[in-house]
Amino acid sequence: MNANQSKLVVEDLRLGHRSRLNGKFTTACEDLSFDVQKGEFVAIVGPSGCGKTTFLTAVAGLMPVASGRLELDGRQLRGPGRDRSLVFQHASLFPWRNVTGNVSFPLQAQKRNDEKGKERVRQLLELVGLGDNGNTYPRELSGGMMQRVNLARALVTDPELLLLDEPFAALDAQTREVMQSELTRIWQADEVSSGKTAVFITHDVPEAVFLADRVIVFSRGPAHLVESVPVDLGRPRTREVKRTPEFLAITDHILDLVMQQSDHGMRSASHGHSATVDA
Amino acid sequence: MAIAQLSTPSSGTSVQERTPAAQRAPRRHEHVMLGLLGLAAVFGAWQLCTSVGIVDPTFSSSPVGLFGALVDFITSGEIWKPLSSTLTTVAWGIGLSLVVGIPLGLVIGRSRVLFGLTEPLISIMYAVPYVVFLPVIIFWFGIDQQARIVIVIWAAIFPLLINVVAGSRNLDISYLHVAHVYCASRFLTMRAVALPATSPYILAGVRQAVGRGLVGAIVAELFMGSAGMGYLVQKQTSNFQMDEAMAAIAVIAVVAIALTRAVAYFERRFTSWSTST
Repeated sequence: MNANQSKLVVEDLRLGHRSRLNGKFTTACEDLSFDVQKGEFVAIVGPSGCGKTTFLTAVAGLMPVASGRLELDGRQLRGPGRDRSLVFQHASLFPWRNVTGNVSFPLQAQKRNDEKGKERVRQLLELVGLGDNGNTYPRELSGGMMQRVNLARALVTDPELLLLDEPFAALDAQTREVMQSELTRIWQADEVSSGKTAVFITHDVPEAVFLADRVIVFSRGPAHLVESVPVDLGRPRTREVKRTPEFLAITDHILDLVMQQSDHGMRSASHGHSATVDA
Repeated sequence: MAIAQLSTPSSGTSVQERTPAAQRAPRRHEHVMLGLLGLAAVFGAWQLCTSVGIVDPTFSSSPVGLFGALVDFITSGEIWKPLSSTLTTVAWGIGLSLVVGIPLGLVIGRSRVLFGLTEPLISIMYAVPYVVFLPVIIFWFGIDQQARIVIVIWAAIFPLLINVVAGSRNLDISYLHVAHVYCASRFLTMRAVALPATSPYILAGVRQAVGRGLVGAIVAELFMGSAGMGYLVQKQTSNFQMDEAMAAIAVIAVVAIALTRAVAYFERRFTSWSTST
């Protein structure tokens, strides 16, 4: 990890939607400030509806910044760019294209679908475990496989910054567990993307701790930074790390922070039973 | 477990396309046989009625007379000129409707302002029976092929537009987000995202457009009386040549079925991804 080199700078950021009906501005993020270092894998957690997804949508360039700084490599972000990729929450694959066609789409859009690009697609499909499924259509894929394609599509452009919007939220518990391990494996295995910067949105605190170098806790909406928690667990990580006391301590600490936000101080006695925040 | 189900053989067609078709095959065969039997029964009854003198073949023609006239049409080559005239009219009319209607519908569906402006107009034009415009179109364009093409377009473009606009409006916004995030150009987004995503709607529109377009062409020929299959039926009936008139109607039926089947083929071919298995 190259420390002290900010990849993404967020400062006094304000985001929101203006209603088409009455023109009223609903704030999603306010006074939001934090940095993401180069090569860092950052997870963002926060109560449901706090504006995490809105934040990620803005970084992806699908939403305008109302005010404040949102800079990638020192340049204010305005609209989408080739330097960023988004792993969509619901895979959003094109059902009329097969797996290879879906993964190639960003290359086609950026006029890079040459021999080198095709080789990269093959290599990525192999890496995400879909090497034999290039000709398969999305309707024939399971939820987990769709998210693998979604991930491969995002990695194919070798983005500077990879954005992941709760990609495993809709999966069943076992598949989610498998995909978390797979993401760390792919992250560590892909020569091109290892060392890349990633921002991962989730409401699942253990998932955030397992995947990230640092977990950023958002407040209730409009979101601002509550705490930035470093995850000092070694890499490569495997599923076993989830049973270590260090892992549990960090997870508990973050859960407490999120719960305080969810209940606004009223501690729920039941939170120990459930790992996910919005359960 | 899912992988095992998905190990499709890497031949051209996918398993999904083949398996149900194979299962349907005997039933489909039976369906076709029943259909032919039904047709044969009607023709048999018709022949019987004319043979025993219940109806006068001078007025009603008869299956035997019809087939005789059909063979004469083909051997003498008399049928080709009106048939090609009608097919040319339909092809130009439908072709122009598709070239104009599909992009226009996609654009209208993506713009709230354009949709608001055009929606009542398109609905009215779709609802009003297009044949009432025939006298006006004759007044504007005369009775030549140009005028017949105009009436085909008039008949075909509104059902097409309604469907394409609906498809464009129902376009899943997440597909557009994917295109946007990966910096696809407007043209690529239209061609590689909006067009395939709305193709089930477009082809439903094409199916209606082709049906109405053919009716438009025939009605125009009946009305304008200058060329084509409609004119042939009109002329033969006026001359009390009922066998020839019925044979001409049979040819129109074949054309209609061929066109419907062609559109159904394209629907299967291009929208197989949208039908859940």
